[in-house]
Amino acid sequence: MTNTFEGEHLLPGQIGYLFIVTAFVASLFSCFSYFRAVKTETADPSESKSWLGLGRWSFGIHTFSIIGIFAALFYVIANHLFEYHYAWSHSSLDLPGKYLLSCFWEGQEGSFMLWIFWQALIGVVIMKTAKTLETRTMTIIALVQAVLCTMILGIYIGNDIKIGSTPFVLLRHMMQGAPIFSVPNYLDFVKDGNGLNVSLQNYWMVIHPPVLFLGFALTIVPFALSLAALWRGDYKEFVKPTIAWTLVAGAVLGTGIMMGGKWAYESLNFGGYWAWDPVENASLVPWLTLIGGLHTILVFRSTKRALPITFVFLIFTYLLVWYSTFLTRTGILGKTSVHAFTGDGQALYYHLLVVIAGFLALSLGLLMYRWKTMPRIKEEEATLSREFWMFIGAAVLFIAGIAIIWDTSLPVWAPLVKMISGKEMAPPVDVIKHYNDIHVWIAIIIGFLSGLTMYMKYKDTTPKKLWTNAAIAAGLAAIMAMGIGYSQRITTWQYSFMLFSTCFAIVGSLHYGIAVQKLKFKNLGPVTAHFGFGAVLLGILLSSYNKHPISYNTTGEILNFGKGNAEAEMKENRENVILFFGIPVAVGDYAATYIGDSAVEGKDKRVYYKVRFEKYDSASQKVTESFMLYPDAFINPKGNQMGLSANPDTKHYMSHDIYTFINQATDKSKSDTSSYRTYIMHKKGDTAFLPAGFMVFNGFDKDIKDPRYKPGDSDIAVAANLTIFDKQGKQHSAKPLYIFKNREYVAHIEDTIKEMNVFARLDNIVVKSQDSAYAELKVRQTDPKDDFIVLKALVFPFINVLWIGVIIVVFGFFISLAKLMGGKAKPELELE
Amino acid sequence: MKKTHIALLLLIVVAIAGISAKFLDFSTYETFSSAEKAPDKQFYVIGFLDKAKAVNYDAKTDPNKFTFFAKDKAGNEKQVVFIKGAPPRDLEKSEQLVMKGHVQGDQFICSGIQMKCPSKYKNDQTIGEKI
Repeated sequence: MTNTFEGEHLLPGQIGYLFIVTAFVASLFSCFSYFRAVKTETADPSESKSWLGLGRWSFGIHTFSIIGIFAALFYVIANHLFEYHYAWSHSSLDLPGKYLLSCFWEGQEGSFMLWIFWQALIGVVIMKTAKTLETRTMTIIALVQAVLCTMILGIYIGNDIKIGSTPFVLLRHMMQGAPIFSVPNYLDFVKDGNGLNVSLQNYWMVIHPPVLFLGFALTIVPFALSLAALWRGDYKEFVKPTIAWTLVAGAVLGTGIMMGGKWAYESLNFGGYWAWDPVENASLVPWLTLIGGLHTILVFRSTKRALPITFVFLIFTYLLVWYSTFLTRTGILGKTSVHAFTGDGQALYYHLLVVIAGFLALSLGLLMYRWKTMPRIKEEEATLSREFWMFIGAAVLFIAGIAIIWDTSLPVWAPLVKMISGKEMAPPVDVIKHYNDIHVWIAIIIGFLSGLTMYMKYKDTTPKKLWTNAAIAAGLAAIMAMGIGYSQRITTWQYSFMLFSTCFAIVGSLHYGIAVQKLKFKNLGPVTAHFGFGAVLLGILLSSYNKHPISYNTTGEILNFGKGNAEAEMKENRENVILFFGIPVAVGDYAATYIGDSAVEGKDKRVYYKVRFEKYDSASQKVTESFMLYPDAFINPKGNQMGLSANPDTKHYMSHDIYTFINQATDKSKSDTSSYRTYIMHKKGDTAFLPAGFMVFNGFDKDIKDPRYKPGDSDIAVAANLTIFDKQGKQHSAKPLYIFKNREYVAHIEDTIKEMNVFARLDNIVVKSQDSAYAELKVRQTDPKDDFIVLKALVFPFINVLWIGVIIVVFGFFISLAKLMGGKAKPELELE
Repeated sequence: MKKTHIALLLLIVVAIAGISAKFLDFSTYETFSSAEKAPDKQFYVIGFLDKAKAVNYDAKTDPNKFTFFAKDKAGNEKQVVFIKGAPPRDLEKSEQLVMKGHVQGDQFICSGIQMKCPSKYKNDQTIGEKI
């Protein structure tokens, strides 16, 4: 094998790798310096100060290096340097520029980098703001940063153990021994990259991963602050910053998760925003435990209770973030997840196991060390106290999280079951029902508690006042629930309960905000968040309970599913409908017509399909409503493949969404059955039949106004003037051009009638005499029967309630944050 | 014992009871012949596409029906009737299929397929119902 290769750009990779090593070493050094600063803090403040300086400096260098890694990798991707494996496998020449950033998070290394990047920035903010907590907190953060850096280090220990993988590895190193690399100019043959997965080519995918990773990264702060508090056994100082950072983390992580839902809703065709997919679950669970921690630390601030459990929640939240990484990155979910990252093999598996075990040992060790001496209050809390029920609510959230993560971890514990019983465990046949059946109860409890607990006071509550308020809220909630339940036909008893409970949360927070808090804005954080959370639950209930397909097909055989009745049988296997070009088909209350696509040969691989939806008034036979939807798909996204990759398009109403996507479409480049047929038009007025319609020849035009034709030097253009009638008798005009020079043929310019799928070419002009010539036309028209799409359409009622609810929750978090930051050390976040 | 401890214990007991009860939801991976023994029950069958035999999808006669032949791990073959629409992308390249469904006569009626693709750079994908 030769050692020199032509045309490679090795410098950006070398610089990038240098930055990786620098970032790693700097974070290790920073961790050490901060650690020394902690150790000498009381004994020798001046030495501590110099260690602190070193820690800060090295963390600065670390952060700078991280940005350097990003810049280097971005350079590699943006310049299409396919000698780098990362660029080759995640990008391609035709990738639109706006998706260049998405290449970062398609791959393993890039998403670790994103995580490191956010944590580095957060570290800088902590450095500036944490004051006396800085040394301890930053020791933890720098340690985690060093650990994260090992993920992208890509070094070998011996021959077999590889630690991390760098994004700057060369293609020829990744695929050693492939014959192509035996030639020095191999790059001449690597023309294009593998390209970005088409389902990531969506604007939500540009913003969802950074926000989600910021959310994940932010959970390090409550974790690090908790460890810092435990380290010194000082439980005062950490409370305020921990609440603040937990609020921010909760808001950002929540937003990131729901953005993922929105992405799934708008660009994946699994039919919804939430499918209890392992990857989704893995991001939801840390949020649940984080919110649990938020509530218990509020309890601690006001009553000095619930400190140990707060540490448990906040520490587990961060460990769960790592465990999620383990689940989704190592390929262990393989069989069970739609969008798990593909595994990077054994190396990452053990790497992450070691890391998680290390963090677990460190944090639990500290926790156990301080467990006995943590401040506790001897007397029991009152049953009707806010702290008791907040504690219960937090515990329920935590248990819900554990239940979800347990079910999601099936591939982790399944081998154990196999050893015992010999059965190979698989996920439930109906995964969504499985989770819904369990978590509807969680939702019911949480709904009630988020309404009721607000009326309670810390320490003790006057029962009479509480029950009066609760009764008012319950009465109003019952009315609201009955109205919604009746109009939305919610009949299942568990979900009727859930409906009442969510209404109670909504009405309760409204009533509490108005009647008790008197709408004093700065106190409205918790009220707003609880109100929004109620709306989220309500939106989930309404949109999922009555989500239904409207694209029932009526052709084809009915298979037997043992459902017992014809309607259920039909539901089971009739959800796709075929739409032939130009022929309206009933889809729900609408007549849907497929009227063409945006396919341009050789251009964008994404094809938009135009589907017109019209609603008729049966009495007057008039169109009362009409709109277009453009579901799109990548036909053969990577060459000669079967099938397509579809993105939905959705019509939004206040009350519901109509959600459509393409399941199958004719690939015109391959399966176009029509070929050009020759038509000879002898004279003006000649007529010929087409597969769907007919055309009339109106003679030749010499006055050409076609913008596509640029008159050249002494050439002549002639157009055949055609009128083409479609089956409805509508007239279309086509003027294909024939260009010649000195009686020699130069070119022709086809004319098309998109609506009819007609392509007309003036192939030849045969001159018989001075004033008589006939036209030889080549015309093709795809038979409408060969041009079709297979469409699925679903209705999601009141999905807007969910999206609006999410925004309100996040808004509530920020009101609380503003009050916390602005308030002058007021002991309680919410007062009557 | 404190009230909080009792409450916590109670919650945990209820949660464990609930989760254990729902444990029955979990299915198993079977072969065609073991799935045949319970023809009305839904299972997961792991198998491979028989590339020698024709796949059939004709949207014009039935846009919801796609048939192909698959061999399970034991080497038994059945015709699979996928009832959720068009053939999945890259099916012919898949190296393994996880199919959800039930046996009906000599056919396997399938409502969800997840494919494992040989390229490590591509995500596995699912069509039909979630697997």
